[in-house]
Amino acid sequence: MTFARFVLSRLAGMVIVLLAIALISYLIFYLLPANPAQLSCGRPCTPDRLAQAEAFMGLDKPWWAQFLTFLGGFFVGRTFGVGGTAIHCDAPCFGYSFRLSESVTQLIAERAPVTFSIAIGAAVLWLLLGVSTGVASALRRGSLIDRSLTTLSVAGVSAPAYLVGLLGIFLFGFTLNMVPVGGYVPLTQSPVQWLWHLILPWIVLALLNAAIYTRLTRGEMLEVMGEDYIRTARAKGLREGRVVGRHALRNVLIPVATVFGLDLGSLLGGAILTEKVFAMQGLGSLLLDAVGNLDLQVLVGVTLFSAFLIILANVVVDISYGLLDPRVKAGG
Amino acid sequence: MKKPPRALRVLGVVAAGLLLVSGCNANPSQSSSNQTTAATKGGDLTILTSSTQLNFDPAKSQSLAITSLGLVLRRLTSWETSPNAPTKVIPDLATDTGRPSDGGRTWTYTLKDGLKYDDGTPITSEDIKYGVERSFAPQLSGGLSYHKSLLVGGSSYGGPYDGKQLSSIETPNDKTIVFHLNAPYGDWPWIVSMGAFAPVPKAKDTNPATYGNDPAASGPYKIDKLQQGVSLTMSRNPNWSQATDQARTAGPDTITFKMGQDETVQAQALISDSGANATSFGADFVPAAQLAQAQGNPQVGNRLVTSADGALNFLSMNTQRGALKNVKVRQAFNYAIDRKAFITASGGSVSGDPATTLITPGIPGRQVYDDYPAGDDGDVAKAKQLLSESGQSNLKLTLLVSNQPIALAQAQAIQQALQRIGGVTITLRPLDDNALSSAVTQGNGDYDLYLGSWQPDFPSANGNIQPLFDSSQIGNGGYNTSRYDNAKVDALIKQATGEVDQTKAEALWAEADKAIMADAPVVPLSYAKNSFLHGSKVQNFFIGEFPAYPNYLRVTVSR
Repeated sequence: MTFARFVLSRLAGMVIVLLAIALISYLIFYLLPANPAQLSCGRPCTPDRLAQAEAFMGLDKPWWAQFLTFLGGFFVGRTFGVGGTAIHCDAPCFGYSFRLSESVTQLIAERAPVTFSIAIGAAVLWLLLGVSTGVASALRRGSLIDRSLTTLSVAGVSAPAYLVGLLGIFLFGFTLNMVPVGGYVPLTQSPVQWLWHLILPWIVLALLNAAIYTRLTRGEMLEVMGEDYIRTARAKGLREGRVVGRHALRNVLIPVATVFGLDLGSLLGGAILTEKVFAMQGLGSLLLDAVGNLDLQVLVGVTLFSAFLIILANVVVDISYGLLDPRVKAGG
Repeated sequence: MKKPPRALRVLGVVAAGLLLVSGCNANPSQSSSNQTTAATKGGDLTILTSSTQLNFDPAKSQSLAITSLGLVLRRLTSWETSPNAPTKVIPDLATDTGRPSDGGRTWTYTLKDGLKYDDGTPITSEDIKYGVERSFAPQLSGGLSYHKSLLVGGSSYGGPYDGKQLSSIETPNDKTIVFHLNAPYGDWPWIVSMGAFAPVPKAKDTNPATYGNDPAASGPYKIDKLQQGVSLTMSRNPNWSQATDQARTAGPDTITFKMGQDETVQAQALISDSGANATSFGADFVPAAQLAQAQGNPQVGNRLVTSADGALNFLSMNTQRGALKNVKVRQAFNYAIDRKAFITASGGSVSGDPATTLITPGIPGRQVYDDYPAGDDGDVAKAKQLLSESGQSNLKLTLLVSNQPIALAQAQAIQQALQRIGGVTITLRPLDDNALSSAVTQGNGDYDLYLGSWQPDFPSANGNIQPLFDSSQIGNGGYNTSRYDNAKVDALIKQATGEVDQTKAEALWAEADKAIMADAPVVPLSYAKNSFLHGSKVQNFFIGEFPAYPNYLRVTVSR
């Protein structure tokens, strides 16, 4: 398969998956026994006002017609309502939030930098922490360090993010007054404040997620270190550091990269609990609010965007296989 | 990231609360707990809120007259709240609370002299009319909408953006505005205290969708910067005059809302009282763990303000369904209820007091009575007797309830109390709040029992009675969740609604309260209390008899 065909087939697959996700989101939403127009109707909500809200939001049409209109919005844009009160959403239109009076595309563009800042920083930290502790643990199998790290990783995997986040805020924010207790400062506004506000969320997320990587790296490392080629490398007189770094770790990183791609992709789509506890308004909190307020347009738009990121992360992981393991490239 | 099980999240909150029980009281505080002092000018006030959206479009806002919107936007009337007296309607932009004519069908208002927006342009009656008209536009729906069905022609009006005006609002000159109603409505002075009656200059409404981000300010503050989900800052409106405004004291120089604040973190920040937290207050109720923490420490407890009895928690019985059609069954449930257990499940005495009337405390004209005296924990013998007299037996009923932990605990208390009668089986059906609301306000009422809560939008018994018991409010988005349909009560509601003389109206509402409870469509359970925390330098932070929320318009910051 040529590289171009490989990319094309992945893109086609991506479109099909995204369509399926959009369809499923719509279906789930319409199976809910609740009427989103009622939340936009005001109080008290009379039948004529409810009908007016439904017509304006396009909810008076069957679900499949709404779905097709939604898809059409990508290519030709959409208009909600008629006459002087109409709202236009230019193509590519992901939808429009009546509650927030903003297009979904604009909302995603505003919120994504917050989530990306949390996710990328935390991911780098947990990858470094997880892989290094995993390697250390494997190389000293059965030692006190190994047992301690294994125990800590079990605690990390088991701990709820909300609880660890709160404890972190109480300890480092309120008691020690070392870091801000919440909020987000854009990188463009002040790089120092941006870093200062993100340190604690990064550490919390890294501690929780690194645990998985510690266990994964340790297991893979133990297996790889028993392989013939490691024995051969040692027999050739290579230093242990080179054996581990050059020969063993490279193989260990393949499954680690797979999991990392998925984790990072899903975190980029919204770190819901972290955003909530640290008062950061990213994609996760946008999605949470959309669910609570039956904001279908935002719900589907953000879900699609998150799905796109996960799929994209998978594609990047596939490509990175070639870099990490020459055999993949040769077989490719 | 996976969402942890709810039990873990609750445990987390409790554990976190316990962790810092002794850690955050380095700075002793001076309290202003539910008391008022002379207004201090100056300082910066911060309001912490879990809300991720603050809507300052007067058409879309459901904000009470005394909270956030009222800082920026004045209306024709406002509220005067006090911890020691019933809430009163007072003039705001208007010279009085309204002059009725035509038996209460027409209401006339005159604007005060010298009223200006923040840009210095004068406020006119035409701006009030335009503000009301735009609230009818479909894209601006979502606010308090009582006026839409009361104004003549309102039900078919779609807003001013197609060039049409609502002819039932007249502005004979720049300072006079006249409203023509479909029927007499004695509580109209309360209606014109709602957001839609804030002035909106047509020239500034060039993009209705974003008008709320920077509305023309008529109140003491104007919006400087709004980042939805993050923060909102407001500073003084140089053209506001204290001489024309008896509702607001405009103490702080600036007010900042910090949005998206987790309730637990927010309460913990206020308990710590450090830095800017000393000049902050929380807009959310204090969570259970922090409530216990604050109550257990006098230095924090005197910064905790708990309201008097507020919203009515009640058990609705679907009067159009099976055995519940029988009044004796409903009366039996009124006797069997264990209010003590219900209040314990709600969080103890700080969460509320037992309820027996439909009109809630703090509402003018309320008469205290108990048609079904059953002590703290119910009169099971009397309930058994009434059920026996009803001829009904082996009742299998479903109770719709919110899936929130406290609501579930409350429902279990009700379930256990009613099942004590014998021959009654209650099955709980927890639902998401939106689904629950749709299930009881839409459709044909496919449920037996519903655990609900109601706080009126304005302090009149009308707000207690009409939405919950007028037969016009069954289904179609209405909140008559017991599906109670009594022509005599409807007539009484209509008569009380149209009564312009407030003393007579109050007597009629009290009569309606008793007439409804004789039919027992609901079991009044408790009057809920709300608790809030503030920093040590926040003064004049008090909660009036109504509503069970602090009056933002009078909060000040000490130097």
